[in-house]
Amino acid sequence: MKPQVNIAVVVDVIGALSDRTLQGGNLCLIDDGAFDSKGQGTPGLCTVVTPGQVVQWSALAVDLQTPVEIRSITFLGADEGASVTEYAGEGEGEGEGAAPAGGRAEGRQLDLNVWSGVVPYFMTPGVPYRYRLELQMYEGEHSVLHIDSPALMCL
Amino acid sequence: MAQQLAIIVLVDVGSALESRTLTGNTYLFDNMKLQGSVNQGTGELVTAVNGAYWSDGSQAGEQVLNWLPYSLGSIPPTVPRGYHTTRARQADQEALAELAALANRPSANGDTDAALARIQKSVGTRVRTTARTRALSGQKVLDVTGQVVSDHGQGAHSYPAPVITDIFGEAVDEKIIYPAEYGSPDLVTDGWYWSATVDTSRPGTYVYKMRIQLHELIQRAGDWTWEPVNLTCESKLRITSQPRRNGFTGAGVGYLPIAPATFA
Repeated sequence: MKPQVNIAVVVDVIGALSDRTLQGGNLCLIDDGAFDSKGQGTPGLCTVVTPGQVVQWSALAVDLQTPVEIRSITFLGADEGASVTEYAGEGEGEGEGAAPAGGRAEGRQLDLNVWSGVVPYFMTPGVPYRYRLELQMYEGEHSVLHIDSPALMCL
Repeated sequence: MAQQLAIIVLVDVGSALESRTLTGNTYLFDNMKLQGSVNQGTGELVTAVNGAYWSDGSQAGEQVLNWLPYSLGSIPPTVPRGYHTTRARQADQEALAELAALANRPSANGDTDAALARIQKSVGTRVRTTARTRALSGQKVLDVTGQVVSDHGQGAHSYPAPVITDIFGEAVDEKIIYPAEYGSPDLVTDGWYWSATVDTSRPGTYVYKMRIQLHELIQRAGDWTWEPVNLTCESKLRITSQPRRNGFTGAGVGYLPIAPATFA
């Protein structure tokens, strides 16, 4: 068993901002898990993991000169996102007062985040645990987009 | 955010050549406004480079800087590569056609001189080849709309794009940036570009200088040539560095925040 599964979040930032959606080929998810993950290369990736494994998400821009960061990863309730468990990155918001001078506070210093965590032991095998993946592309009213389709599933 | 950093060096070539300085004739922009760059669009740009480090102090991620020189008063770099040649050839063909028409006319018309003068004007001026300016030589002088220019006294001609020939100064001496010129398949950058990686482990504001080569149209012994003129301008980098942290916990790595009850 691999100790770590990496999930690459590949984003066509210009496409996503123009279409105002991550759908339609503007985002694709790929993992390097050892098991048979479904939906590789699509926003509906279901990554197969085992308890104790570390899962790490990284955002990559198709165009290297476009900015994209993961803003939050939130695991959804069983009933299709009706109850969103609020676990968004705790680093957000609170640290802003302490931020150094300059524009880094507006960017919420998202580039400092490492999105990784250990798969807990209580997950029911064979059940996809969907999560909301929220991405920030630069700043402004339409800079944050999310998808609810990807999932983790225990073997 | 971890995108590549681009610094645009926009030069008002005509004014810079006239005043023999880049001060006040250079406009700098970068794509790091969100991250804290200040004085965008002026000669006083301070580029923010935000680094990150791991809990053991080692550098997390590399920042890459790219410089692109642009020109005010030039034919845009985005026109096709053979544009100058095509325009020159077209001017020659037109002049030949006019000459042929003139030759076929009944002679001693009196206005032959005027017609020849007009043809001479439409032929334009070809720039003499010298070893130092080979890439620019043999071309005709064009204005920014691509028309051939024969009267250079008006300063109506397009200038060759500015070329960065060196990046040096404090930031380089202090080993904060490691600049080098690289080959590029992108002909918009003339096939070359300056790039640097940044050591973000020593925060501070550092000055760097750019040596920029402009070209001036000069008449020597009856021939027009593009003479290189080397000028320098400076800019600043403000380096900061902060620790990486886990996105879920804000500190170290832990279990993924999955609620067990929801799935019971």
